[in-house]
Amino acid sequence: MANNETRLPESRHAANGQDLFDHYGRLIPPKLTSAVHLNIRRRFVCVQPTIEYAAIHRRIARHLGCDDTLSVTEFECRAEGILDTLRSDAATRGIVNGVGVPFFLPKSATTDIGLAIENTYLKAVRNAFLELFPDYAFVNYHARSLEGKLQVAPGSRHERLLERMGKSPVVGYYFPCLLEYSVPAALEQMQSLPDSLILAGGFDTCATFIACPDLLLRTDEYPPLLWLAGLSGERESIGYHFEAYGYNLTFNRRAHFGQAAEYWACGLVALG
Amino acid sequence: MTPVLEVPDCGLTEAEREKRNGLKARKPYIAEKLARISAMEERGEISPIIRIEKSYLCNFQCTHCSAEYYMDRHMKKVLKVVDARRKIDLEDIRNLSHQADEMGLARFVITGGEPLVMKDFDDVVAAIDPEKHYVITDTNGWFLDDKRAKHLKAVGVEKVQLSLDSFIERDHDAFRNKPGSYKRVMRAIDATLNAGLNLLLSTVLLKGRVKTQEFRDICKFATDKGISLYVSYAKPTGSCTDHPEFVIDKEDADILRELEKHYNVFSHMTPSYGSFKGCITVKGIVTVTSTFEVTPCPYIDFSLGNLRETSLKEILARGMRNPWLGPHRPDCLIGEDSKFIKIHMEKTRGANHLPIPWGQGFSDTDSLTA
Repeated sequence: MANNETRLPESRHAANGQDLFDHYGRLIPPKLTSAVHLNIRRRFVCVQPTIEYAAIHRRIARHLGCDDTLSVTEFECRAEGILDTLRSDAATRGIVNGVGVPFFLPKSATTDIGLAIENTYLKAVRNAFLELFPDYAFVNYHARSLEGKLQVAPGSRHERLLERMGKSPVVGYYFPCLLEYSVPAALEQMQSLPDSLILAGGFDTCATFIACPDLLLRTDEYPPLLWLAGLSGERESIGYHFEAYGYNLTFNRRAHFGQAAEYWACGLVALG
Repeated sequence: MTPVLEVPDCGLTEAEREKRNGLKARKPYIAEKLARISAMEERGEISPIIRIEKSYLCNFQCTHCSAEYYMDRHMKKVLKVVDARRKIDLEDIRNLSHQADEMGLARFVITGGEPLVMKDFDDVVAAIDPEKHYVITDTNGWFLDDKRAKHLKAVGVEKVQLSLDSFIERDHDAFRNKPGSYKRVMRAIDATLNAGLNLLLSTVLLKGRVKTQEFRDICKFATDKGISLYVSYAKPTGSCTDHPEFVIDKEDADILRELEKHYNVFSHMTPSYGSFKGCITVKGIVTVTSTFEVTPCPYIDFSLGNLRETSLKEILARGMRNPWLGPHRPDCLIGEDSKFIKIHMEKTRGANHLPIPWGQGFSDTDSLTA
């Protein structure tokens, strides 16, 4: 498959004080050996959903069954604090130019990520989506069990989310800003990112879709496919993802072979 | 003419399972190849359907024909040129069949033009080798009566893809510029089913048609009849170049996606039994023209190479490393991507001979952002 336009631009590191993100909030590709499209035409992009903290709080609390986790006020305060922190750092201020979705996750100790996603999170995504769009569908095309299938991808920093979840509820902000990065490139670029950012995986991406079930619902153009790049599947070349199908939302698994595609994107998460 | 979709093997209906078991009993070699497609995709290999356009002769002259500009009648009457390029023969097809088989490819579509006016149709089927490849024929149905359908089955054809462009008789006949053609399609449906052939009904989706009662009616007809209805988006190529108003928008495509929930209807973009290709260029289909050029879909008039000069394997590799064609994408490249459509129109405008050769349309230096 085509790994087109994969080049090695000048490294842009947080330490040099430059904004790492472009005018649209996309992470400008740092020097990478993995496949990434340096220049993009923004054909497949998300549109910023409406952020209403009370509505998001209500959806997550109801569908993840965590009513008493934290108040709306605390959720909003911590989420806005994340944005303030990102804005105050010269390296990360540009990320808020792009699409972002606040979420929270209840305190939870996870022994099997795949099983938790299958038994809890995907069901919550489906319920949240159908609640908002009863005429459309959420389809989990992955017919087999996810039990034991998903691990934290080395280098993703995603273990930080799980550690934080083990101790207390977590508030985060999800940014689908790695447009046209291959999954290996998404992982590789973490080495040069500020410490405040982690690569999005399963729970955080699911919580994002519970918060804003319409994140991939576009009637005018096509949104991107969103990989759970912070998690590794049963084989190196395999990944799991959310994807729109018309007005419907789907979850699936496919081979990516380390390639970049115009249609593919990954997400970053900042925790607060 | 329209492409067909592959049918991977999970989530099968009872009827589909029965068909596959029948194929396994009759043609186990082909059934085994088809069963390996999902595993091939998982390994990053592709298994496109190969459409062969050996002849562009046709008894129709349809308003939306994608092959019109390849036809001798167009070159002679409109362009006033003669196509002196060497045409494919049966030995070429045998060679192609062999190459395809070695790569594990399993499906050929005979198209055109109208395949059933080809005097050497049976020889083409034999050259493909119906014991090694699943053979499908496109047709407008005009010549497909009971006798011909039984003959197709006897020579090794497995499936017929029959065009029906409106469920309203006068509209179909007008669109096809052929009075009586609707009645012939209806006859052909019964003849195909009676002969034990698999049948795919295909129809072209013009902008706005998906919202009409007529379209609902044709969906219902196919579903009630137990036939799949394959919907081909109108593309701005061939005769449709003069009808940009035919080209659908995303709303049309999305409404069709919703109808898939209720009717036995699908497009080339529809996930099928666990296979999620999106746009099927190269990954799911290629077309071999009468001059042995390979194009990535029936509607893109840029060649990926000529099989006299380059192997099928290398031509498919060229397609898969091309940034327009190889990567997974959810939209139809030639039907929905305005940037590519513009490039395609500019490069094909004024061309006397299609497709545009490798290096002049597609090349290894293509870029999405140039």
